[in-house]
Amino acid sequence: MSSSNCFHCGDPCERTAVFFDGKDFCCNGCKTVYEIFQTNGLESYYELEAAAGSTPKAMANSFDFLENQDVVQKLLDFDEDGIQVVQFHIPQMHCSSCIWVLENLNRLNGSIKSSQVDFPKRKVRITFESHGFSVKDLAVLLAKIGYEPSIVLEDYSEANKKVDRKLLYKLGVAGFSFGNVMLLSFPEYFEVQEFWLDQYKPFFRWLMFAFSLPVVFYASQDYFKAAFKGLRSKVLNIDVPIALGILTLFVRSTVDIIFDFGSGFFDSLTGLVFFLLIGRFFQQKTYAHLSFERDYTSYFPIGVTRIRDTMEEENIEIYKIRQGDRLLVRNQEIIPVDSILITGHAQIDYSFVTGESESVPKSSGDKLFAGGKQLGGLLEVEALKSVSQSYLTQLWSNSAFSKNKASEFQTLTDAIGKRFTIAVLTIAIAATSFWVWYEPSKALNVFTAVLIIACPCAIALAAPFTLGNLLRIFGRNGFYLKDTNTIERLAKVDTLVFDKTGTLTSNSGNTIVYEGLELTDDEASLLKNTLRASNHPLSRELYGILKDQEIMTLDDFVQSTGKGVQGTLGKHSIKVGSAKFVGNQSVKGQETSVHISSDENYRGRFVFKSKYRKGLVSLFKKLGNSYSLVILSGDNDGERRKLQNMFPFQLPMFFNQKPNDKLEFIQSVQRRSNVLMVGDGLNDAGALAQSNVGVAVSEDVNVFSPACDAILDAKKLTVLDSFLRLSQQSIRIIKWSFLLSLCYNIVGLYFAVTGQLLPVIAAILMPLSSISIVVFTTLATNLFGSVLNSKS
Amino acid sequence: MSVIYVLLSISVCVAVVFFAAFIFSVKRGQYDDSYTPSVRMLFEDEIIKKTTKNNNQNKSQTD
Amino acid sequence: MEVQQFHYDNKIVQKFLYATMLWGVVGMVVGLLLAFMFLFPNLTDGISWLSFGRLRPLHTNAVIFAFVGNAIFAGVYYSLQRLLKARMFSDALSSINFWGWQLIIVSAAITLPLGITTSKEYAELEWPIDIAIALIWVVFGWNMIGTILKRRQRHLYVAVWFYLATFVTVAVLHIFNSLELPVAALKSYSVYAGVQDALVQWWYGHNAVAFFLTTPFLGLMYYFVPKAANRPVYSYRLSIVHFWSLIFIYIWAGPHHLLYSALPDWAQNLGVVFSVMLIAPSWGGMINGLLTLRGVWDKVRSDATLKFMVVAITGYGMATFEGPMLSLKNVNAIAHFSDWVIAHVHVGALAWNGFLTFGMIYYLVPKMWKTTLYSKGLANFHFWIGTLGIILYGLPMYVAGFTQALMWKEFNPDGTLVYGNFLETVQQIIPMYWMRAIGGTLFIVGMLVMVYNVIVTIRKGSSVEDELAEAAALTRVTGRRTAGETFHTWLERRPVQLTILATVAILIGGIVQIIPTLLVKTNIPTITSVKPYTPLELEGRDLYIREGCVGCHSQMIRPFRSEVERYGEYAKAGEFVYDHPFLWGSKRTGPDLLRVGGKYSDNWHLNHMYDPQSTSAGSIMPAYQWLVKNEHDRSQVEAKMNAMVTLGVPYTDEDITNAQQSMAEQALQIEKNLYSDPEFVKSYEADKKYAEENGLEFVEMRNREIVGLIAYLQRLGTDIKVKDNDGLLSENK
Repeated sequence: MSSSNCFHCGDPCERTAVFFDGKDFCCNGCKTVYEIFQTNGLESYYELEAAAGSTPKAMANSFDFLENQDVVQKLLDFDEDGIQVVQFHIPQMHCSSCIWVLENLNRLNGSIKSSQVDFPKRKVRITFESHGFSVKDLAVLLAKIGYEPSIVLEDYSEANKKVDRKLLYKLGVAGFSFGNVMLLSFPEYFEVQEFWLDQYKPFFRWLMFAFSLPVVFYASQDYFKAAFKGLRSKVLNIDVPIALGILTLFVRSTVDIIFDFGSGFFDSLTGLVFFLLIGRFFQQKTYAHLSFERDYTSYFPIGVTRIRDTMEEENIEIYKIRQGDRLLVRNQEIIPVDSILITGHAQIDYSFVTGESESVPKSSGDKLFAGGKQLGGLLEVEALKSVSQSYLTQLWSNSAFSKNKASEFQTLTDAIGKRFTIAVLTIAIAATSFWVWYEPSKALNVFTAVLIIACPCAIALAAPFTLGNLLRIFGRNGFYLKDTNTIERLAKVDTLVFDKTGTLTSNSGNTIVYEGLELTDDEASLLKNTLRASNHPLSRELYGILKDQEIMTLDDFVQSTGKGVQGTLGKHSIKVGSAKFVGNQSVKGQETSVHISSDENYRGRFVFKSKYRKGLVSLFKKLGNSYSLVILSGDNDGERRKLQNMFPFQLPMFFNQKPNDKLEFIQSVQRRSNVLMVGDGLNDAGALAQSNVGVAVSEDVNVFSPACDAILDAKKLTVLDSFLRLSQQSIRIIKWSFLLSLCYNIVGLYFAVTGQLLPVIAAILMPLSSISIVVFTTLATNLFGSVLNSKS
Repeated sequence: MSVIYVLLSISVCVAVVFFAAFIFSVKRGQYDDSYTPSVRMLFEDEIIKKTTKNNNQNKSQTD
Repeated sequence: MEVQQFHYDNKIVQKFLYATMLWGVVGMVVGLLLAFMFLFPNLTDGISWLSFGRLRPLHTNAVIFAFVGNAIFAGVYYSLQRLLKARMFSDALSSINFWGWQLIIVSAAITLPLGITTSKEYAELEWPIDIAIALIWVVFGWNMIGTILKRRQRHLYVAVWFYLATFVTVAVLHIFNSLELPVAALKSYSVYAGVQDALVQWWYGHNAVAFFLTTPFLGLMYYFVPKAANRPVYSYRLSIVHFWSLIFIYIWAGPHHLLYSALPDWAQNLGVVFSVMLIAPSWGGMINGLLTLRGVWDKVRSDATLKFMVVAITGYGMATFEGPMLSLKNVNAIAHFSDWVIAHVHVGALAWNGFLTFGMIYYLVPKMWKTTLYSKGLANFHFWIGTLGIILYGLPMYVAGFTQALMWKEFNPDGTLVYGNFLETVQQIIPMYWMRAIGGTLFIVGMLVMVYNVIVTIRKGSSVEDELAEAAALTRVTGRRTAGETFHTWLERRPVQLTILATVAILIGGIVQIIPTLLVKTNIPTITSVKPYTPLELEGRDLYIREGCVGCHSQMIRPFRSEVERYGEYAKAGEFVYDHPFLWGSKRTGPDLLRVGGKYSDNWHLNHMYDPQSTSAGSIMPAYQWLVKNEHDRSQVEAKMNAMVTLGVPYTDEDITNAQQSMAEQALQIEKNLYSDPEFVKSYEADKKYAEENGLEFVEMRNREIVGLIAYLQRLGTDIKVKDNDGLLSENK
């Protein structure tokens, strides 16, 4: 037991430690990577960042499906005269060393020409020569050095995903025009009736006009569209007054300069659009390396190995699986479709698809459900259905997945927008009619002035900046939201539903306690050696925690699937397995446990208790005050008592919930309240989609998490309450800023209604209100946000 | 003072040029990834003879 | 095809590094000499080509274009190759760039002391050299863009953008500001007159600072600071925003150099507003630079390179904060024409440009010569003495500027100036000039230490002139399926070509627009009493230009009570319509001269030029005795007048044909006036007699340069004194 850390990956070196080239390695995998780098002049890898590597998973020929050309073709970005370009998603990359080595792949293999990393997206785009080198070789090479690309069904659709840069263009156009128009409009503010100025006026004004064109007709398209959509569906959203404002600004200004009434409002116009777009831009904070849209396709492999009747293997796309096909499933592979087990020792881990914490043994003839993960040897199965028909995958045909929460939800801004628009129009009309009767010549001027000054720039900015900033604060604290809309929904939530397995409990191992008679040293050593031979997950876990014994070769070792194992050495033998197997019916109880009997007399049992995350109790106490809480588990109710002891206060729990049950449960609750679902696995996908806000808990945010509105770093689960409180506070902030901007509007309206709105006033009021709103919201959110930082 | 015309049009033209450059660079995806380049520029691509040699190479930045 | 191997061209970088250090020393030593001339006016007694007026432009040009310029090239040629993973486009172009630039510098170092100058600040060089600059600059850009085209790294790092912007903008600025009409091989007149010339000059002057001293160095900062600290820039996104916002605002800040001048208010205010706006992007950049070092401050403590960079960035921050402040009208009212401005520019130059360059040198030299720095101790010594130098230079100059400016404005209760005699205000700040000289000395000592340190380092190192590197070529992946990247190769070239074409378009467009404005007789509401200079005055004016009087004397009385009280009626735009080039000046080491005409007798001027202290005790103006002795070459006057006619000055044909005669008459008149002083008569006749006895040919006073100069000085500002109210009204605002 050396306490040193792996030179390659930095993990503590334990049993499996390897000493090589004067350095410690935690495992052979790491050592191999080191060797590869060493021999290819990539040592700098270790100088950029110490122990940056990640351990390669032992995955024999798991990329076979890349031999299938249809699959490959779908993955390739480009394929022409011997040059291929492919983009891989590599969750493991995490530091500059990763970037460096991935961009120097060409040193590992001559066929690779160049590779470019996009770190935020955790992607690497590789250009290589296709003859003598294939996508599969590439994937294998990457896996060998610890950067195994995750190639999943999802990537089919992803093959050509469009990068949307429209907003950036629009921002550029608006900003550029705004700058120039300012330059041209200011002179007339500074001075009037100056010899030279009078000479330039027309030149300046028409230049401004020219600059404003792209702003009106390109940069502000979205607002017109949105307003139009709104009106068509009889909704007065905030975009209506905005669009109205922009339009009036443009027309009025143009008229002004044509008839030389004045210099027009071009600066206000361009500024308005520019600020609005900044708001948009700020609001759309995306976590490029996360995906909130994932369904089972991003969990399932792309291809599988089919055994032809002629008994030879072939790789086919998963969609091509037909009922009756014979398929090969290897260790650590996902079972792609509901199927019957033909041959092999199946040990299926359903935790991700059903929430059952404990993996189940299956024997020939048993039914296997799609999504389960095989632990152990090679399986041969016969498909009962096609992929989409499978029990699990059918879940996604539910309407819950097709609805768009964001669009159904009416945001605060739009709610205000309605009243606001009506108010503005009434004022405009009232004022105009007054002037028509009082001094008709001014009427039109007043009408337009009102529409211009009332253009709710500040209001439209309040939400984006508040929520956008909060989005970032959350992100910094391990709570990644899909969009700002989610925050508003989060604020409305009143019921919290928690999944158990993987959500309340951590996936990383169980706590194992021994109950029974003390084991003698001989027994202990025999037990350890017996377990070493077994490949049952529980055995391996148990093996891990038992203290080291010197290795002995057993005289006899029997493994009876689904029951247990028996090891014999000399005249002593030991049985490890189910109660029945070791000959002891007396013990009952739902807990997962491994029983031990030495020489046929019962010694005791190791009880596996799933490990609950720290701080849960205090969290639930805090949440209990303001929310109704529910636990919804796909697991058996073995832990019910434990949970009840954990949470003294009354807390409804439901067990053995199938994915669909969860979905329906949420639906039923939603009749009365807004539900926040917290889950982790595919089995929660339905519930997450159905709930008002679905939060997926994940130990490593880069690896798979089901479709949801937010991804929560498991470590941060305990501060969930602060997140919820913050989201409510943000709503308050927005309301305050509405008031603030309303004040500005009233001031402006005074000028407008009295028919004395000069361009300069608009030019001052508009940016002033916008900027003060931005400052206010940013400060407020940061102030409240600081609570979080102090917590972590 | 008519020189204002000249100066303005020049300034604006220059601005337009840069604006065009901006649009094109966005189009080319120059700004799609706004992190990796800052790391990439740190890497030395001079050919390194021996490990020790390149040690100094990297050190020489730090000392 | 696997990775390509290629060589980085280190030789060119090394050359530019040598040049940087050489010219750095030269430029700063000249500066130091000037600093001491404030204390010992006649330090370079009687040597015309070492006189203050002529050396000042040499100093500014040497520091800006020789020192900083070469530093830019060194840094760009190093970082560009590595950022693009490609050797420079063409070695030929590289060395043309190098030798061409050095040639320009040498020719500047020769012409300026000879008094061959256009007198426009930072653009003093005469037209043949201007053309050379334009050509070499294009070569530089061509080389850079060529390299970009054959790069092996698809992404253009933000630094490259800064370099590109520098190239384009400086090219445009230089060409438009240097539009001048040649009269002779080494003599030309600016095509713009008076206010217009001023506007163009400061539109250029400001942007020269912006795009020659700032943007390229920001590029260098974004490359060398992360490199030296070995950590990525704090926020790459911010750096991109920094670049684009800077680009979109900077170009418009120029007019703030002309606050309270005869430039229309709205144009001035425009300059102010945009200057103030500049704080945002500038500080964004500074913060980005400093935060890059967060977490490595321990490294900063030990590493001289980083120390220099930290101070440099801080200096940038200070200068970019002070700049907008200075552009505020009420601040400017005090600071303008005073030593405050000198302090401002030197904080920028010494800290930002100087220290960043030093940091770059300390980083590059060990890399270039494959060794470690000879002595960190010396480097640290350089840092500390340099920093001390900057402080000792900066602070006194701020104090000096502030003190003097306030003294200029101080009134007695009875409404008279407290310090009616300009010299009092000068005497007051002599101690500050002393400290400045000391500070400068320290800075140069530090610089010399660096040079020594570098030389020893190079000695022990081994130069690798072509450094082997390898990188994969960009594979032209045409019609790739990923969105936005179709026709990739096409797009790849497009923006560059577009930049070039557009630049050309601007130039043509600009010239097309400019021609008519030149042919317009005048663009200012004329003050009827303002007449063109007489031939002799015109020649005298050229002497004024030659001796660089504009370096210490302004010709721009601002509309303040204090200035009107001290110098007379404030300046009107209309007075300068025939001034090619304008001579407003930017610093008042001596008093303003706009209304000096008729203030003193011709004799006073003669004596003053011969021995300033004799007429004004305690004056720090050096003697210009050669003006009194030399014969005045007036042979080119017709050509000059013709040039002026082309530029819209209403000389009639007989004016030109009678030029020689009119000069003779005016000169004779001045000589007569001089005779009114018996002192003069005695010495002058003595000289004449002595010459006759020894058979030396004798130059009549009327043919000497001093007469021409006196003619000009006595004319200055007199037009306006002729009461002409309607003329004034048309201009008065």
